[in-house]
Amino acid sequence: MTDQTTEEPTTRRGAAVESNRRIDSAVMNAISRVHVQRGVWRMLVLTVLAFAIFTAAKPRVFLNPLNLQNIAIAAPEIGLLALAIMLTMLTGGIDLSVVAIANLTAITISTLYTSVAAGNAGLAEGMAPLIVLVGLAVGALGGYINGLLVSRVGITPILATLGTMQIFNGIAITWTGGKTLYGAPEMLVNFGRTVVAGIPALFLVLVAAAIVLAIVINKTALGATILLQGANPVAAKFSGIRTGRTLTSTYIMSGLLAGLAGILFVSRNPTASADYGSSYVLLVIVIAVLGGTNPNGGFGTVLGVVLATLTLQIVSSGFNIIRLTSYDYAIAQGAILIIIMVIDQVTSRHRRRNVPKISNALATPTE
Amino acid sequence: MSSPATTRLASLRGTNNEGVLALILIVLVVIMTFINSDFLSAGTLFAILRSSIVPTVLALGVLIVIISGGIDVSFPAIAIFSAYTTVVLVQGSGVDAGVLVVLAISLALGALLGLVNGGLIARFKLPTLIVTLGTQGIFKGVLLAYVGSRYIADLPLGMRTFSTMSVLTVPDGGENTSLHALVVPVIVLCLVVNALLRNTMFGRGVYAIGNDTEAARRAGFSVMKLQVILYVVAGVLAAFGGVLHVTLTRSANPQDLLGTELDTIAAVVLGGASIFGGRGSVLGTVLGVLLIQVINNSLILMGIPSAWQRTAVGLLLVIGVGVQAISARRASRRVFAHREVVAQA
Repeated sequence: MTDQTTEEPTTRRGAAVESNRRIDSAVMNAISRVHVQRGVWRMLVLTVLAFAIFTAAKPRVFLNPLNLQNIAIAAPEIGLLALAIMLTMLTGGIDLSVVAIANLTAITISTLYTSVAAGNAGLAEGMAPLIVLVGLAVGALGGYINGLLVSRVGITPILATLGTMQIFNGIAITWTGGKTLYGAPEMLVNFGRTVVAGIPALFLVLVAAAIVLAIVINKTALGATILLQGANPVAAKFSGIRTGRTLTSTYIMSGLLAGLAGILFVSRNPTASADYGSSYVLLVIVIAVLGGTNPNGGFGTVLGVVLATLTLQIVSSGFNIIRLTSYDYAIAQGAILIIIMVIDQVTSRHRRRNVPKISNALATPTE
Repeated sequence: MSSPATTRLASLRGTNNEGVLALILIVLVVIMTFINSDFLSAGTLFAILRSSIVPTVLALGVLIVIISGGIDVSFPAIAIFSAYTTVVLVQGSGVDAGVLVVLAISLALGALLGLVNGGLIARFKLPTLIVTLGTQGIFKGVLLAYVGSRYIADLPLGMRTFSTMSVLTVPDGGENTSLHALVVPVIVLCLVVNALLRNTMFGRGVYAIGNDTEAARRAGFSVMKLQVILYVVAGVLAAFGGVLHVTLTRSANPQDLLGTELDTIAAVVLGGASIFGGRGSVLGTVLGVLLIQVINNSLILMGIPSAWQRTAVGLLLVIGVGVQAISARRASRRVFAHREVVAQA
């Protein structure tokens, strides 16, 4: 080793440094990946744990296909709303208006369908795809308004969407007169009842949306700018990222996801009302945070949020089966959220203390 | 720039735009008087004041938390938890308790629940929104699952006596209208909280940690202690609001108040408090609450369906905060422009 280095000192040394650096970066990469996936692993453990507990408590009822299907039918709409909130949290914002937007979409679809069907039922059914698209467009429009308020006007997201939540909800109340609307395209109702290979079609919608969203966040330039925007807005601005455009696209996507949730509302139940799912706003924030999303931005995984949705649905259904009330479920939600946050805080402090040691140990050989 | 007229205008405007808010309130009242001559009457005034009693007290607690840089969404749960549990406890004891006993029990409960919030937030340095979101679920759940979910119509004597007490009665168009007596303690409370925020070390500390927690720490404030105390105070205020609510509605419904957290936060922000902390005043908050109540009342008088109330408040919030955001951006641009001029010179 030593006589070889005298022959070609620079290149050998260069190669050694190079390989060292490569090992270094591979190790750091692995460490950061473990850190990144921590939220997902933890969620997976929690999901399995919740499933196991209720299976052990009441195997007959809990493992009944009907019960499992009910979980898979109730979860998607909540999951989509949680994904919408998670997306805005990635940029360091929040979208409190998702449920209001979803309800507006549902109301739009129901109103359009019943008004067309009053004249010609066949025509209404034929126009169903168009009606659904209009509903989705309403969601996108709501998101666009949020995006403008956040990016152009410069209002803090929590206040902008608090305001629009009230506005959208107010419009919905006035529109429906506070009543529940009945009527939805047969197409949607049938879709809501469809089961593919034992899995409800509604659940497949969530899976598809989650995959698309994961690709957008992890594989596209827009996703990278969204994450950078949340991790460090100043750096994002100075690296030439069009902050305004990124934020507007984020809130439009969030609106679209909320609109999709609204479509699921009417598919599950051919009704629409202004105050449907009013308790969802806080629930979906709980899910997003539980799924490992950093509410200050820059970090979150789609898989974590989907698993968190499933866990809470399992707990909700399990509580029902062991005859605990929805109030006990509220307690469980709050307790899970706080316990996870406390554990996170304690372990991350511990980790932060250890990080310099690891990087020093890795750095010394290269010196 | 600094002519006497403009400085006087600036001082009228107030540090948190209280002047602007007061002006909007006055303009609104004038417009309403033109539209409906019934508006400007003792009856309307008393009705607005009565409907502002509970929102004002709840908003004061929210104000303190927001000034400290936090957001509390658990206060309606604390309010109804304390009030309802007190009613249940007093009914269970069989003794018809007086007002002091009722207040003592409920405020102690409020302080205890506030301590839970403050302890978690200060000890583990967790985001306030997330913690209070969690405790909200827990408080609500414990109340409804283990304390009771039944509507209670017969209140303890201490509350009953105050339900219909009035402090001022004036003739109004042939009939007598009276101002509810509970307006008085609320006004006193506003003055106390105002003094607490402006004239005590605690108050200065709350503003300091809201502006810059690290700077406050280095200036010698015990951030942890301050945070615990301020959430206890917020809990006590919420509990007081809950007791007032139960007294005014003359019944204890454990589902009441829940879900109104965002409305109250909107009123406080409308009153000029910064959601980032460090800014806000009791006067602004009171004006914010009054503005929302006047608008609600005006819509009813104008025959507009009450369903539009939510939209109106939402629009007001977006416009109010939007104008603030735009003017803040202009101001920062002016500072930069000024700096450049100075640098060039």
